[in-house]
Amino acid sequence: MTSSPQSPPFQRTRRSTNNIMLQVVAGCIPGISIATWYFGYGVLLNVLLSIVFALCFEALAISLRSRHIQTTLADNSALVTAVLFGLTIPPGLPWWLLFLGIGFAILIAKHIYGGLGQNPFNPAMCGYLFLLLSFPSAMTSWHIPNDALSSVQEFAPTSLSGLQQSLHLTFPFLSHNTLNPIEFVDGLAMATPLIESKMAGTSKLLTAWQTDQSLFARSSETAWELVNIGYFLGGAFLLFQRVISWHIPVAIITTVMTISILFYSPGGYAIYGTPYLHLFGSATMIGAFFIATDPVSAATTNKGKLVYGVIIGLSIYGVRAWGSYLDSIAIAVLLGNFLAPLLDHFLRPRIYGHKKGVLGPSDMGGGSNKVIDS
Amino acid sequence: MRFAEKIIESLCVSTRQPIPGGIKPPDYKQETLRSRLMPTPIPEELILPLAQHGNSRSRPLVKPGDKVLKYQAIACSDVTGIVDLHAPTSGIVLAIENFPIPSPVDKESKCILLKKDGLDAEIDHNTLANYRSLSYLELIKLIEQAGIFGLGGAEYPSRLKLKSGKNKKIKLLIINAVECEPYITADEALLREKAQFVVQGAEILQAACMAEHCVIVIESNKADAIKALEQTQLNSSIELFKIAAKYPTGSEKQLIQAVTSKEVPSGKYPTDIGILMHNAGTAYAVYQAVIEGKPCISRITTLAGGSLKTPKNFEALIGTPIDYLLNLCGLNQQTHTMTLMGGPLMGVKLARTDVPILKTTNCIIAASEDKFPPASIELACIRCGFCADVCPASLLPQQLYLYAKCQNFSELISHGLNDCIECGACAYVCPSNIPLIQYYRASKDELASQLENKISSEQWKQRFQHHQYRVKKDKEARRDPKRRETIKPTELTLKISPPIFSREAAKKEIAAAVVRVRKRKAQFIASSGGENTETDK
Repeated sequence: MTSSPQSPPFQRTRRSTNNIMLQVVAGCIPGISIATWYFGYGVLLNVLLSIVFALCFEALAISLRSRHIQTTLADNSALVTAVLFGLTIPPGLPWWLLFLGIGFAILIAKHIYGGLGQNPFNPAMCGYLFLLLSFPSAMTSWHIPNDALSSVQEFAPTSLSGLQQSLHLTFPFLSHNTLNPIEFVDGLAMATPLIESKMAGTSKLLTAWQTDQSLFARSSETAWELVNIGYFLGGAFLLFQRVISWHIPVAIITTVMTISILFYSPGGYAIYGTPYLHLFGSATMIGAFFIATDPVSAATTNKGKLVYGVIIGLSIYGVRAWGSYLDSIAIAVLLGNFLAPLLDHFLRPRIYGHKKGVLGPSDMGGGSNKVIDS
Repeated sequence: MRFAEKIIESLCVSTRQPIPGGIKPPDYKQETLRSRLMPTPIPEELILPLAQHGNSRSRPLVKPGDKVLKYQAIACSDVTGIVDLHAPTSGIVLAIENFPIPSPVDKESKCILLKKDGLDAEIDHNTLANYRSLSYLELIKLIEQAGIFGLGGAEYPSRLKLKSGKNKKIKLLIINAVECEPYITADEALLREKAQFVVQGAEILQAACMAEHCVIVIESNKADAIKALEQTQLNSSIELFKIAAKYPTGSEKQLIQAVTSKEVPSGKYPTDIGILMHNAGTAYAVYQAVIEGKPCISRITTLAGGSLKTPKNFEALIGTPIDYLLNLCGLNQQTHTMTLMGGPLMGVKLARTDVPILKTTNCIIAASEDKFPPASIELACIRCGFCADVCPASLLPQQLYLYAKCQNFSELISHGLNDCIECGACAYVCPSNIPLIQYYRASKDELASQLENKISSEQWKQRFQHHQYRVKKDKEARRDPKRRETIKPTELTLKISPPIFSREAAKKEIAAAVVRVRKRKAQFIASSGGENTETDK
């Protein structure tokens, strides 16, 4: 461990896997902040609690697999899974649902397959889908503090009472009085606002701008668009830092945009929604930049990544327009994960000195290799 | 447009572009270029390994106690009888024994130990004013006698490269002055100070391989070397070709791609597409051999690294102990962590430093902790694909790693493991510190031994079947002499391939070999004027 390396190269870049993972988390920060600002502490609480649970599960799995706990935990991969999981589940879920979901993600979806690098499916999305299928009603409610509904008080999800309510929702045992569930209304009653009525609408940001309303006023419904812009900026940061390659996000966004333009008919049947809202009124941005780009479960060749992105883009739209689930990112990404090995197998780059990328047994010869500086 | 550009354009299939992938590591070249090329220092004792190159064996032409002169032939190849080692200075042969040689493990090999007498007395050697009067065969013979090997690191005998051009038409000779690895400045220092000799050497090489055109390729950031080359090149037909600095452009196949946009088909050699490549150091050695009549007894070696007070380039005698050179550069024992031979990306870590400089030693790095930190822990591969982005052969290192780990050899072949040039760019960028090259080498070795086993088991199978066929035939012949002709051997031998062991084929082969040997013998005697009666095997 402390000796010098035995084989070349002896010079290396200083970039490390745990650093890359941290950068992914950093890329989430704008999105998290905006979401917390609009939807209250529930979002932040989800993320923090997921992190705590995820690290515990990760440590448990590592010790069961008799690996070195410190070095394996330090790769920060559980942290990324936890942050993405915490961001996709609705705020206001009780703690034990979070516990179950992240436990499924870390233990079943990740470590049973052999831990980091071996998992065929995105762990965060597995955990999410596990909860969605097991607890559909809880998972499709989007709780926000009930101040929002009172016309007297100012809408302030980040106020102290908002925090209190979020804590009570997450930890039901904290409240001394028995809680009346009706007290906590389904604020938006959905994981994302992409329900039929909203999809037919126009940009709330645009409306607010045209009507001289504050773009950031929490009462206006600009929240989702701003959250998506936050993820878009975070994604741009990741691209700039070369943590992710452009192939997957560009393929997904282009596909969703193209297909929603093709199906969009203004004034027609409203279900298909406007292309703009498909991109910015939903979870497309976090999906395209953060979830689908998980390198472990995604396609790994550049051509494969493009096709993988197209498949995810098509299924995102397909589930939204014709499926029965509101959230389509998890299903689309898992479908992409299923196909990734196949894409990697067939869509390889052409190898130097060959006409093709996939070689048969007859292509054994490598000729005079190891020739540097002739 | 310049002439060479036109030629290159005509050779091009598509437009010229940089190689795919590649990395740009910090090169740390300036520190060794501060001082001039140092003249040959002569240590007390020189260690001259007999097996300088690969698997070939040499036998000594001297005995312990013999007095030798500088440039005197002291060893020749066991197989061809061609002299491949010359005394770097005058002195006495102390011993011919096993001594440690440069290797990652403690390895010994038979070496000639030469003690200098301090006179540096030379043996008579002929200088040559005009090489143009010689035929290409005579040129190749001169180069051959000088014991020149590819000085870039591939250890390939230069004469073989030149001879391969005889059968195939060489359109383009590339002189490779692209030293893309960090630290190494041997070729740059050589070009800076001896550009005219390198150009002359290139001209001789061009004449010897009868190439239509010749270019010297150099990285565009080597300003001094380019200036020196431009000054000498004025009345030469050789063109200078500048390319952007990127590792591993200096690799033979990659450089051909960068210059001509052509690729060497897998399993073939550059000569198959009409291109021959020689290193700039080789060109200089060729100049010395042909014009000055001096065989290859020294080479330019870079001594670099954070543990040296004054890193510089030496024109070092072959056989100089590495620790002698390190001490000349002021080695700091406290910071010295390891010694590398070759560059930091493809070199080997030496097990000890009392080993000699070889004809292929282009660089010695005395590493210090700050530039070469201890190996970090190998983490899990997250398939980030950084490696695939930098692979110059467009391989998928992440997939190769996956299949190397589970020893899936059919997938490894399918993913082109044999096309990996082991440049180490993938491992350089790997964020999980995976020693990818180590995995690939192990898999390649395993694959090679599997192939060997397969071939030999196939041979034994066929021998056994042939034996069974003979036994059966004998039995039937004994029972019924009339039926002997009705059974044909093909009915019983394997269907998949013709039998490897067949008496007729063996007879034919032996006859052909005898004819070949006779022919070569006659040629050899004719070409060497009948002095040397040693024959090839």
